[in-house]
This record gives sequence, structure tokens and C-alpha cells, in this order.
Amino acid sequence: MTGAACIEIRNVFKKYKSAQENSLSDVSLTIDTADIFGLLGPNGAGKTTLISILCGIIPPSSGIVNFYHNRDIVSEQERKSRIGFVPQEYAFYQELTPRQNLDYFGAMYNLGKSDLEQRREHLLEILGLSKYADKKVGTFSGGMKRRVNLAIGIIHEPDILFLDEPTVGVDVQSRNAIIRYLRQINENGTTIIYTSHHMSEAEEFCKHIALIDHGRVIANGALDDLKAKHEASSLQSLFINLTGEDYRD
Amino acid sequence: MFKIFSSLRKEYLLLINDKVGLALMFLMPLLLVFIITIIQDSAYKMVNENQIPLLVVNHDAGKEGEKLVALLSKSGLFKIDSQNAVPQKSLKSELLSRGKLIALYIPETFSAGLESNARDVSNILMDDLGLDRDTAAREKVSMPTLSFYNDPVLQENYSYSVMGIIQSYMSVIENSLMIDRMYTTMDLGGGSEKLKEKMISNRVRIDQIVASNNNSTAIPNSTQHNVPAWTIFAMFFMVVSLGSNIVKERVNGSFLRLKTMPTTFMLVMFSKMAVYVIVAVVQVVVTFSMGIWILPELGLPKLTIPSNLIAFAAVVLISSMAAVSYALMIGAYARTEQQANGFGAISIIIFGAIGGILVPTFVMPSFMQFASNFSPLHWCLEGFYVLFLKGGSWEELKNVFAFLGIFILICQLGTYFKLRMERII
Repeated sequence: MTGAACIEIRNVFKKYKSAQENSLSDVSLTIDTADIFGLLGPNGAGKTTLISILCGIIPPSSGIVNFYHNRDIVSEQERKSRIGFVPQEYAFYQELTPRQNLDYFGAMYNLGKSDLEQRREHLLEILGLSKYADKKVGTFSGGMKRRVNLAIGIIHEPDILFLDEPTVGVDVQSRNAIIRYLRQINENGTTIIYTSHHMSEAEEFCKHIALIDHGRVIANGALDDLKAKHEASSLQSLFINLTGEDYRD
Repeated sequence: MFKIFSSLRKEYLLLINDKVGLALMFLMPLLLVFIITIIQDSAYKMVNENQIPLLVVNHDAGKEGEKLVALLSKSGLFKIDSQNAVPQKSLKSELLSRGKLIALYIPETFSAGLESNARDVSNILMDDLGLDRDTAAREKVSMPTLSFYNDPVLQENYSYSVMGIIQSYMSVIENSLMIDRMYTTMDLGGGSEKLKEKMISNRVRIDQIVASNNNSTAIPNSTQHNVPAWTIFAMFFMVVSLGSNIVKERVNGSFLRLKTMPTTFMLVMFSKMAVYVIVAVVQVVVTFSMGIWILPELGLPKLTIPSNLIAFAAVVLISSMAAVSYALMIGAYARTEQQANGFGAISIIIFGAIGGILVPTFVMPSFMQFASNFSPLHWCLEGFYVLFLKGGSWEELKNVFAFLGIFILICQLGTYFKLRMERII
């Protein structure tokens, strides 16, 4: 069930110091509460830059980003405690076990000891990691590492979850497990903002999408509406229609 | 509090999982102290306790040459190899072929020349006193010249030291001859022995005093150099463990992920510094314990703990902070773990070499002694020297704290700016 806007992006520009061109140009989007919002685009389109701005990793060069109309969030710390971020990289400690990783990152999200233990064990169970909870993550398969990466981003039950290519390089079983769990937390009210190159997965998973190319939003709306508007039979053909067939580096 | 505990725990877990890093930080200094102290101690003993091999060729026709050889032998400083059959012209080749470093040639006219000189001195004295002098006509022999041969590899100051010793015994012989001659001229019989003894025993003594602020007479030995030196070396080698940890966290996105969390990066850095400062303190405890309890069991000098314990703690702490700060900076600037490990390790070896860890700075040429001022390891070692040899004088430690303080500041600022450039802070 989608509701009121939880994120409003208004006229955001981003230009890196070393770059010739803008990475983002006049990006304006509204993302509703409890939506599953796909940020799609070819390589170098600006998806990761936009997610980095939304997560507070980098500031925009200009423009405004509001969370919940700035009504409920009173501080930067509070905003951070209400968002979750799952980067494309395995951004955790390979030398530690999943349990140790979750303990550390959970504490960084200000979780108390008992809450943390409860959520940690729940996630390990749900994501099929209980059996391996005390083995070093460095010995895991790609799929298992993706699940650990996801678990860290949702240990604190965020209101808004940012996922940057959460299923890249994983087997079908792990992908299904990840998508199934994401749907479940979305049904419980978590807003998901997601990037992927898997068009079929995005088509199945997302309620709304924004297509970005060369730093600009070239299409934005409900998936079915966009397909109808551009006379595309699938998200993949819509993507090719709008971004072309040229290689992107 | 739980957050701080979790952060410290994470650093601890990363540390104990890094077996190579732990071996470098704990086993390496123990092995180095053990091996280098044994090697250096035997070198010290070779210089301090062994006799100096001296080839002597005595062609003197009289008795004074024999007396000189006897005095040199009696001193216990020399191991005399007498080869009186060797002609002077072949002494150089003989010296080299026998593997000796120094040789002394006593000429045929050695006694005659000394006696002639003693007679002249005696006659002058008799004339001045208006007494009868020895009027018997004797052939005048000029003062003899001893020849001192040395291998060119021998350091000049070492040769001068040996020549100084020989000169000192020559004075004894010359004075003795003069006294004998004067007693004979004055017909005083054999009563000169008492005067000779008095003259020898009343010579000006030189007391050697070790300059120390607490009247400590501790003299640096191989243990007092090697234990702190290799502990400092190992402290700085934490660059391999801590530096590569930071590179990993930067490269794999952990740091950026932390930036999206309601925590401060200061906590991350504080935890790293706290854990590794504790590691450095443990390194000191382990290595110094070896110096106190294990090395003496092996017949090596015992490490004496400095009397100023507060200064000792302060030097350990600032040395640890310098090592940690350097590792943080290398971790911040290296692009890969290999870079951090390679550059980190090599830079520590270079800093160690110019800083007097491998070879003490006082044997280095002057420009290298100047260069040692730019090595943080030199200042850490200097701090321990002040503790061990100068009673831990706060006045003398001022420079150590000033330099290491500046070094820490530069490293911390360098780390901050690099992480800021990468938008991690």
C-alpha cells in the first residue's frame, strides 16, 4: 500500500570536481511511502550518485532532498537511523562471522544489546544463514555474502531502504530469497528504492520506476503506465526504446 | 557505551584474525631482540674483553726493548706475537700474511738511544746543580723511533688509541732510565726504586663518570639498545596490520556504509587507535619482559627498568601514538593492501636504518646523523635512551615529545584530509 511522499527530490544537480559534465542534471522525483521504486538506467547514468545523495554520503551541488516533508525528522542522526543502505560492494568484514558483522553494524545503528540479538537471530534465520552464523564471511559463496550484505542494511528495520544492485552475481535461489524477503518487509511498510540491471527482476519487483540517462530523468511513473505510453511490451524494450542500443562504458 | 564497546570489539576481532600481522607485531621483535642481542653482545665482548693481537719485532740490542714488550704484555690489553727474526723491510707483508691488524717494530738502537738521552738529561741537571757530572766519553746515540704498522682497514682512532697506550709505557721506561742515571751519577746506589714507585703511583688518575641525571652509572649495553630498538621497530610494523585494515575498509565500502549510519567516524578512528595503542603497550611488556627475565638466563645483560616510571609510561604512550598515527596515514593513502604492506614495511625499515635501530647513529657519518632527526623511530629510541641512560630527565625528554608530537599531528592531519577528500569523513 503506497501512501504520502516520503522522499521529495527537487531540481538536484551534481557535478564532481574532476568531471567535465554534470552527473545529475535537474533531477526531480517523488517517492511514496511503502513504494518499491526502481532507479534504472545504463552504466554511468547517475543512479549510484543519486542513491549516494539520498543516503547522505555525498551532498548535491544544488537542489533539495526532503524526507517526510522534513516534518518528522528533526536531525541528521534521526534521518540516518531511519534509512538502510545496501551497497553494491560487500561492505562488511570478511574476516568476521555474520553474527559478528551484524553485532557491529547493529550497534552502529544504536540498537540495544537485547534488541540487536533478537533481530540478528531473526535475520540469520530468515535469510538462511543460521547454520553459517559463526563461520567467517570470507569463506562464503557470492549469494551468501549478498544475504549478509542485505541483513546488515535492514538489521535496524529501516523505514526507507536503499538497495544498489542487491542481487548482482548471485544464484537463482539466493535471488529469490532476497526478493521474497524484500517484498515481505515492503508489505510491512518499508519503502524500497532499488537499482538493478536485471530488467525482468525489476519489472516483477518494482511498483514505480524512474529511468535515468546521462544524469537526467527520462521517464518516471507507474510501470504499466510507462509501458503503455511508450508502446513497450516489457520493461527491457521500454529501456532500449528510451536509452538506445549504443554501448555504455 | 554499548556502541563504543562494539566498535572496540570489532577492532579486536579483526586484529586477532590477522595472524600474519600478529606474528609481525609480537614474534618478530622477540626473535630480533634475541638474535641481534646475542650477535651484538659477542661483538661488544670482542672489543671490551678480548686482547688486541699485536705482532712485535724486537731488534733492540739492549734490555729496554724487552722491558717495553714485558710492560705491554703485563697490561693484559695485548696478545703479543713476538717474531724477532722478521726483518723490518718484510714486516708489512708479514703483518698482512699473519692476519694481524697492528705491529710494533723496536729498532736495534732502542736502548742505546734511550740511555744516551737519559745521560744527557742527567748531565744537564748535574751542571745546573753545580755537581760533578759523568765525564766519560761515550758515543752519542740519537733518540730511537718506534715503528707502528697497521692494516689500512683499521679505524684511525683505534690506531691512535693503541699508540697512546704504547706512548704511556714508553714514558715509564724513559723516566725510569733518567732516575737511574741521576742516582748513579750522584752515587746514590740502588735507592731509585722507591722514587720510581712514587712517581708512577702519583700520576694523575682519570675517573670515568657516566653522565646521568640521577647519578645512575648504567652504561649502555646490547640489551639496553636492542630491547627498546626492536620494540619500537615492531610497534611501527603495525602498519602492516592496521594500514591494510584501513585500506580494506576504504576499498570495500565499509567506511562509506558507516557514513550512512547514525554514528560518528571519530568513534571508528578512536576504536582503532585505542586497540592498537594497547597492542603497542603489550608489545613493550612482552619484549621488555624478555629483556628482564629471559636474556639474563642466556648470559646476556639484564634490562634495567628506568627509575622514572611516569616518564617511562609517557615515552611508551607517545611512541605508540606515533606508530598508530603513521599506520593510519599509510592506510589512508595506500590504494591497495599490497601498497600499504609494501610501502609501509619498507618505509619502516628505512626509518629504522636512518633512525639508529639497526646501527647506532653515533657511528654514522654526520649527514646521516642529521638525517636521523627526520625518523620518528630515532626520536622514540632517543626517548628510551634518556630513560635508560639519563635517568628519564623531563628536560631531555622535551625534544622527544616535541618532535613526536609534531609527527603525530602531521600524520593525523594527513589522514583526516585524505579521508575527507574521499568523502568518508
